[in-house]
Amino acid sequence: MELLSGLLTAFRGAPKEITRPQVMDERALEVYDIIRNIRDPEKPSTLEDLEVVSESCVSVQELDEECYLVVIKFTPTVPHCSLATLIGLCLRIKLQRCLSFKHKLEIYISEGTHSTEEDINKQINDKERVSAAMENPSLREIVEQCVTEPD
Amino acid sequence: MEECIKPVKVEKKPGKGAAKIRIEDDGSYFQVNQEGTSQKLEKAKITLNDCLACSGCVTSAETILITQQSHEELCRILRQNKTEAPSEHKLVVVSVSPQSRASLAARFNLSIQETAQKLTSFLKQLGVHHVCDITFSRNFSLLESQREFIQRFKSHKEEKKVLPMLASACPGWICYAEKTHGSFIIPYISSTKSPQQVMGSLVKSHFAQEKNMQPNQIYHVTVMPCYDKKLEASRPDFYNQEYETRDVDCVITTGEVLKMLEQEGMSLSDVCPSPLDSLFRSVVEEEPVGHQGGGSGGYLEHIFRNAAQELFGVHVDEIVYKPLKNKDFQEVTLEKDGNVLLHFALAYGFRNIQNLVQKLKRGRCPYHYVEVMACPSGCLNGGGQVKAEGESSKDLLQTVEQLYNKVRTELPEANAQVTELYRHWLKGQDSDVARQALHTQYHAVEKINSGLAMKW
Amino acid sequence: MKDALTLLSRITAHPDSRCWFLSWNPSGTLLASCGGDRTIRIWGKDGDNWVCKSVLGEGHQRTVRKVAWSPCGNYLASASFDATTCIWMKKKEDFECITTLEGHENEVKSVAWAPSGNLLATCSRDKSVWVWEVDEEEEYECVSVLNSHTQDVKHVVWHPNQELLASASYDDTVKLYREEEDDWMCSATLEGHTSTVWSLAFDQTGERLATCSDDKTVRIWRQQESAAEQGGSKKDPIWKCVCTLTGYHTRTVYDVNWCRTTGALATACGDDAIRVFEEDPGSDPLQSTFSLTAHVPRAHTQDVNCVAWHPKEAGLLASCSDDGEMAFWQYLRPE
Repeated sequence: MELLSGLLTAFRGAPKEITRPQVMDERALEVYDIIRNIRDPEKPSTLEDLEVVSESCVSVQELDEECYLVVIKFTPTVPHCSLATLIGLCLRIKLQRCLSFKHKLEIYISEGTHSTEEDINKQINDKERVSAAMENPSLREIVEQCVTEPD
Repeated sequence: MEECIKPVKVEKKPGKGAAKIRIEDDGSYFQVNQEGTSQKLEKAKITLNDCLACSGCVTSAETILITQQSHEELCRILRQNKTEAPSEHKLVVVSVSPQSRASLAARFNLSIQETAQKLTSFLKQLGVHHVCDITFSRNFSLLESQREFIQRFKSHKEEKKVLPMLASACPGWICYAEKTHGSFIIPYISSTKSPQQVMGSLVKSHFAQEKNMQPNQIYHVTVMPCYDKKLEASRPDFYNQEYETRDVDCVITTGEVLKMLEQEGMSLSDVCPSPLDSLFRSVVEEEPVGHQGGGSGGYLEHIFRNAAQELFGVHVDEIVYKPLKNKDFQEVTLEKDGNVLLHFALAYGFRNIQNLVQKLKRGRCPYHYVEVMACPSGCLNGGGQVKAEGESSKDLLQTVEQLYNKVRTELPEANAQVTELYRHWLKGQDSDVARQALHTQYHAVEKINSGLAMKW
Repeated sequence: MKDALTLLSRITAHPDSRCWFLSWNPSGTLLASCGGDRTIRIWGKDGDNWVCKSVLGEGHQRTVRKVAWSPCGNYLASASFDATTCIWMKKKEDFECITTLEGHENEVKSVAWAPSGNLLATCSRDKSVWVWEVDEEEEYECVSVLNSHTQDVKHVVWHPNQELLASASYDDTVKLYREEEDDWMCSATLEGHTSTVWSLAFDQTGERLATCSDDKTVRIWRQQESAAEQGGSKKDPIWKCVCTLTGYHTRTVYDVNWCRTTGALATACGDDAIRVFEEDPGSDPLQSTFSLTAHVPRAHTQDVNCVAWHPKEAGLLASCSDDGEMAFWQYLRPE
C-alpha cells in the first residue's frame, strides 16, 4: 500500500527526488519481508501474527550512496514481556543474515509499550552484548528456531 | 539489586478456548475469557526459596527478604500477641549475636555487659519473652567443628575431598559456593551448623520440649551482623515440615535493631538495664563471656588447638598468624622437627575466597582447614552492622573489635550446661539426635540452561 | 584533510568474522589482533608487508575480545567472552598459554597490564573490575574485586606511569581506582557521557584521559590537583572534562587512542570512519579546543572497532573492523 502511495506521489509530479521515496519503501518492504515471519520465542505464532511488528514499524533512510539506516520499532505483547530482549536479538540476527543491502541497524521498542523500554533499547543495540549472546548455546538455539524460515 | 529473571509460572485453569489478557493503566493484568467476564490475575510472588534455588543472580534478593524477614515482621508478631486470644499467642525468643552486641555497644558508647542488659530490657519491654545469647549455641558449633576436623584428618589418606575442611558458618560464602562451584566444593565444607542454626535447634526442639510446646508456638528471632543470615534461616534444610515452622523464623540485622529503637524514640543508653535472661546464655557473674579467636567465631583457633592436642599431643599456647597477601588472608602452622603438622588459614572477603577456590581447583591448596568468611575483616564488619556516623568506618570497626575482644573467654568444653545438654538432650556425641540437631547439608544449585530465562 | 591519513595496506585479519581489537607490542615489532573466530593472530613485518607470524587458536572457547602485551613484551594477555583471561608466554616465534585466569561470572571484556608489569586488570559484564598480582613464579592472585560500576564494564586501562587504573562502563561512567593499604578502591567517578562509555585512553603524560561513547561524543578529561588538603589526608586529584568533541561522529564511537609521538587523537567509529583530532595551538588547558585534522569516511566497510598508534613510528596507525579486516595508515599533520 505504501509502495502505491509512493507511486502516486511520483505521478503527481513531485520534484526531482521522485525515485528516492520509492526506493526507501522498497527497502522497507524488503526489511519487513524478512522480519514478519520470525517466530515468537514462546508461541508458534509469528511476530506479524502477534502484531509485534507491522509494515509501518520499519523505516529506511539513506546514509550515503551505498549505506542505509534501518530503524525498527517493535511492540512487545505485554509491557512486562520478559522476552523483549530476545525478540530484539532475533530481529537483529535475521536482518544481519538476510538483508541484501549495506545498512546500519537500530532496533527500538515502540515508545510507551514496555516498562523497561530504555534498558531494552540499550541492550539490543549493543553489538558486543548481542554477539556474546549469540555465542551462548541456549540463546543461540532459541534464536535459530525463531529465525529459521518454515519449509 | 538485580532484577529477578526467574520465569513466572502461570497456573493454567482448564477451560475452553483462548483467553485474552487485558492490561489496565495501573499495570495490573486482567484475564478476559470468551464469555467476556474478566478476572484480575495474581502477580506471581517469588519466594525466598525460589530465589535460593535459582542461579540467576549470585546476590541475595533483598526485596524478598525485606518483606519476609524484617524487624517489621517481628513488630507485627508482637502486636498480634497483644491483640489475639491467648491460645493464638506465640512465645517470642530473640537470640542476639555477640557481633551485633559489640556493634550496638560501639554506637551507644556502652560496655558489652551494659549493652546486653539494656538490649534484654528493651526487647522485653516490647513483649519479647526470652533474650538469649548466640555465644551459647556457638559452643556446639565449635565443639562439633573440632570433632569433625579430627575425623576428616584421620580419614584423609583414604578418602578424597575431606581436606581442607572449609568453615560453614558464613551464609554468604555457602551461597556463593553452592551457586558457583557446586558439587566440586561442597564435600570440603564442614557439615556443622552455624551458631544461628544450632540456636534454632535448641529453641525449636529442646526448649519447645521442655515447655511442652509445639515448635510453631514459638517465634524465634535472631539478631545478626549479616543480611545473608536471612537466606540461611530460609533454607529448606531448616524447615520443619510437620509443624510448618522454621528453626529461625526471622532474622533481623543489627541495623534493624537500631531502627526499632528509633521507632520507639529511644536510645539504648537511656534504657534501664535488666538482668540477663537465664535461658541459653554464656555468662560468668552476670558478665557475658565469649570465645577466643576473633570476631568471626574463633573456628580456626579452636580447631587448631584441639587438633594439635588430640592428633599430636601438642599444647598450643599462643597462635601466631602469618599475614600473606593481605590482612584478610593469614596462615597458622604447627611444626615439629621442621615438619608442618597442621597448616591452617583464614580467608576473608571475596578476593581471598577466589584465590582459595582457584588453588583448590588446581590441586595446589596446602591447607588442612580454612576459616572462610565472605566479608573483608570477617563478621564484625558484616553488612548488617550499624553504619559509621561521623567517624570513618575503619575507626568504627576498630572500636567494635576492641569491645568484642575485651570480653572474657571460655572454652566450649568448660560450659557445664553444654555438657549437660549433650548428655540429656542429644543423647551423647555422635548420636542421631546430635547429628540432626547440629549438622546440615549443602546442595549444588543447577545452572540456568533455558535461553528464555537467561540474562545476556 | 582527506590526505592527512593515507592508507598503507589492508589485510583480512580474521576472515568471516569480526576483528575486535589490536595491540602493538612495546617495541612495535609485533601487532596482535583478536576476533570473533576465537583466535589471536600475531603480525610482523616482512619487508614492506605485514604477515601473520602465528595463530593462537587453542585457548579460548568463544570470541577473544581484547589482547594486551606486558610492558616487557614477553607476555600477551587475552580477554574472552568465555569468561576467562589467558596469559601467553612468547617463546621465540611461538606462544604458549601458561595460565588461565578464572573467576569472572561471564564475558571478560578487557585486560590491561600495569606499567610495572606486576599487576593485571580485567573487567567483565559481571560489573566487576579485578586486579591480579603476578609473583616471581608466574602465579596470578586476585588482589582486589572492585564492584563500583552498576553495569557491564567495557574497558580497562592503566595510567602510563602511576598505579592508577581507569574503567569505562555501560553505566555511562568512567571510574578511577588506586591502591589503599592492601586493597584497591574507587577514587573518582567521571560523569558526563549520556550512554555507554566504550573505551578510554591516557595521553603519554597521563595528565589527560580521552573517553568515547555510544552518545557519539569524545570527551577529554584533565587531572587537576585537588584543593587544599583537608584534615591532613591527601585528597585524590579531580578529573575535569575540559573538552567535548561533539558533532563529528554520526554513530557510536568504539575506540580512542592518543599517539605517543605526535599527540594526535584517533577515533574508531560505528559510521565506518576513522578520524584524527589535534589540540589547537595555544588552546587553554582547562578549556581545550581540538580540531579535526583527518577524516576517512569509509575507512572500513563496517564499524571500526579499534585504532592503535604505533608506539615508536610517528603517525603509523592500525585499525580494525567488523568486516574482519585490519588496515595500516600513515598520518601526516596537515600544514
